[in-house]
Parts: sequence; C-alpha cells; structure tokens
Amino acid sequence: MIQVSELHFSAEEGIKVLEDIHLRVEQGELLYVVGPASSGKSLLLGLLGGQLPPQRGQILVHGRNVGRLSPEKRLELRQRIGYMCQGFSPLDRTVHENLLFKLRLLGNFREQAEEKALLALEATGLIRQQAVEAAELSSLDRVRLGLALAVCNDPLLLLIDEPLEGLDADERGEACRLIDRIHTGHLTVVTATRGPLPDLTQERRIVHLVDGAVSE
Amino acid sequence: MNPFLFLFRELLGAIRARSALYFALMGLFLFIFLALAAAFFLVPPSISADNAADGSLPIEEIQAILSPRLSSATVDALYLDIRGRSDVSRVAFHFAQELVSGASGGVFVIHPATSSVAQDLVADLRIMNGVTEVVERRRQVDLDRSPLSTAARIGLLIALVLAIALSLLFARSGYRELLRDFAGEIRLLRLSGISERTVIPLTVGIGILIGFLAGLLLLVILFVLHYVMLSQAMSQPALDGLADGGRILMISLVNLVLGLVLGGLIGLYGASLLSSREFRPIP
Repeated sequence: MIQVSELHFSAEEGIKVLEDIHLRVEQGELLYVVGPASSGKSLLLGLLGGQLPPQRGQILVHGRNVGRLSPEKRLELRQRIGYMCQGFSPLDRTVHENLLFKLRLLGNFREQAEEKALLALEATGLIRQQAVEAAELSSLDRVRLGLALAVCNDPLLLLIDEPLEGLDADERGEACRLIDRIHTGHLTVVTATRGPLPDLTQERRIVHLVDGAVSE
Repeated sequence: MNPFLFLFRELLGAIRARSALYFALMGLFLFIFLALAAAFFLVPPSISADNAADGSLPIEEIQAILSPRLSSATVDALYLDIRGRSDVSRVAFHFAQELVSGASGGVFVIHPATSSVAQDLVADLRIMNGVTEVVERRRQVDLDRSPLSTAARIGLLIALVLAIALSLLFARSGYRELLRDFAGEIRLLRLSGISERTVIPLTVGIGILIGFLAGLLLLVILFVLHYVMLSQAMSQPALDGLADGGRILMISLVNLVLGLVLGGLIGLYGASLLSSREFRPIP
C-alpha cells in the first residue's frame, strides 16, 4: 500500500530533516508515527500525501510513484487521500455545512454529499452536533470534525497529523478509540503524534521518528 | 450544480459589507472609465479648416423658398406638413422680402431637430411640390473652439488613467478582503487536493460580473440621454453624437465588451493576490 525507500529531505537551509527513511505500511494497517516536536512527522505525512514531492528517494502510494507523478496526477491522488492537518481549524459554518462544503467541492451532487456527510458524522459520533457552529465545538469534537472531513469522501488512505494536541488524558483516549473505529475495515491510517499514546486494547503498530530516522 | 458554480456561489456568499463597498467603488470607477471612453467617441471631432471649407459644417438652418404662385391654403398645408415632421425642431414663415430685398413669395425658415438629420431634411424639401429652392445655412464655427478642445482631450485622458487606477486600487482592497474572508475555504481546497488555480476563474468571474454591470449601466444611461435629447429636441454641437441611436448602440456594445475585458483583467489581478505572502500556504 505505502512503500517508502531511501527517502531524504532537507530544509532550504540545508538542514537534513528526513534521512534515509524506509517504511512499509500494509493495506488496512493502522500506523502511529511517534516523535518529538520538529522531528519531521508532519513533513513525512505531507510527503506521503503528495503535498510536496520528495527530494530524494521513492514513495509508492497504491503502486504510484508520488515523485514521478505530474502535478495534475498528484492532485488526483491527493483527492483520494484523507488528510487532517495539525492544528485543524474548521470553517465558520455548522458542522454539517463544513462537510457539505468539502464534498460539493469534490464534485458530489447535493444528495450524494448529504448522504456521505451523514455517514461521516455517524462514524465520528458528531451526528447530534451537526447543526452546531463548528467554532463552538470542544477540542475533542474539533478532532472528530477534522476526522469526519478527512474520511467523508471515502479515501484510500487516511493521514492524521497530531490529533492529540490540546487534549487531556481522557480525551486522548477517546480520540485514539475514534481513530481505531475509523480504521476498522479496509482503510489504511497513518497517524503522527508527539505522544504519549494512551493504553488501549487494540493492537497497533508504532514507529518512532527521531532525528530524521525511523525505528520500529 | 458543478463544483465551479458551487464554489462561485460560495465565493459570492463570502462577500461582506467591507468587500462589497470596495467592489462597488471598483465598479463605479470602471463605469466612469467606460463613460469617459464613450465621450471620446460621442463628442464630434474638432473641425479642421479643410472640412470647414468643403461644407461639412453642421447645418443650422434651412430656408425653403416657396413659389410665389402658391395659394395661402397650400402654404398653410405645407407649413403643417413640415411642422409635423419629427426631424424638424421649429419652422417659421417669412415673406421673402424680409430676407432678400426685391424677392417675392414666402420662405420657410426651418431648424432641424439635430444636425445629423439635416441633410435628409434638405433632400426631402428639395423634392417637395411648391418649394423652388432650398438654402442651407451652416453653423458658424470658431475653428479654435471645437466641442472638445485639446486641453479637454488631455484632461479626459488623464481622467481615464485615474479612473482605471482607482478601479484597480479598490479592486485590490476588495479582493484582499474577500480572500481573507474565504481563506478557510481556500485552505480546505488546498488540503483536499484541489488546485488553487480553481480560484482564478472565480475571481475573474467576479471582475467580469462587475465589468458587465458597469457596461450595462452605461448602455442604459446613454439610451436614456438619447431619448431625452430627442424628446426635448435639443441641438447642441457637443451632444450631436447622442442623437444617433445606431451610433449609441454600437458604442454601448463596444463599451460592454470593454467592461467585460477590463473586469476580467482586474479579476486576474485579484487572483494574483493568492500567490502573495499573505495567502501563500505555510510550507
């Protein structure tokens, strides 16, 4: 599903951020990338999601070499990847309208968009808050909305960047349980976080990203 | 509804009072630009000495000299006939002796509604029964004082440049406000894998819409002025261009197209703000 080999990435000043990364994520797998701040987690997710091309090395997503895709093809791939960015802030609309906006943007007709929005709201437990203004949501519900937006258009791959930021211990547990729930099934999920991860029953794979290198 | 129309509706919905004010001012100055451009075409060109000599000065007055054999009833009928014409502003009967000593019979002194219809009126009078001769009296024009002096033309050009510059200035503020209000949506658009180039046709669309409205407003105003001028039978050398409906239509349509093109270009300028530091995504 995802195959990363010999991936290198340096910042504009020449500082090496990612160095010789090798990573394989199987179809339907749930992977946590854990590392301290500024360790390159968001960059790795951005590279996996085709947000920016790799400088050196290879990233294969669903058999497609991200680095060799034309800008149009890369945009097509990005439309099939659900992405929740760090510090996600919703639109100044209701929860339901946030989802409808994204779905209509991606070419869904109104009825289809309504249907997908409801499914995403149900999956993330936001169905009762659909009429609430997104700005009034609690931190945990914002994470729920970010996840709902990321999964609403049936993505092939889900990338979640720092979903636990600003949450207390109970909320962290709840957020991880939510990610587990979303993962159930065929969806491949890569979550980057500073940690610590709450103790949960579901088995999950964790890799550590420290000083630009990954270790299992 | 396709994604483009959906986004366009959303972008229009994001226009708040502040950006609406800027866009209204942009439209106003675009309208002023188009009106000034139209004035260049509508005001007759200055008359050169050559043109004055070859008789192309506007006809101010027509004297239709009547046969002395006409009965008074026939003269009355002719008078009523001429007075009833739409291309005649006023008509007065004079005895020929009042104008030329020793002449006999009567003379109709006719003022055409506008100079543009005078030539056709002369031709009609020449073939009228009972009219023996038609004399055109042309307006005495001071060649140095044409309807639009050189200084006025330079002033008009400066006003044109100022109008488009102000329109651009307000467009910049309007688009900046609008893009700020739509920044969340643009961020989501980028995150969803939709090219930000999608926004370019939307901002161009707004510019075209404003340009179209400015051109349409000018068309309406020009036609209102045209009908007011015809109904009031005004004859002013500087306003002669307003009397010709066909010319007004042509100028209005050209201005409408000009409004669309300028609006589109201003919209492109608005879209270029997306690549400015303020709206560039954080790498």
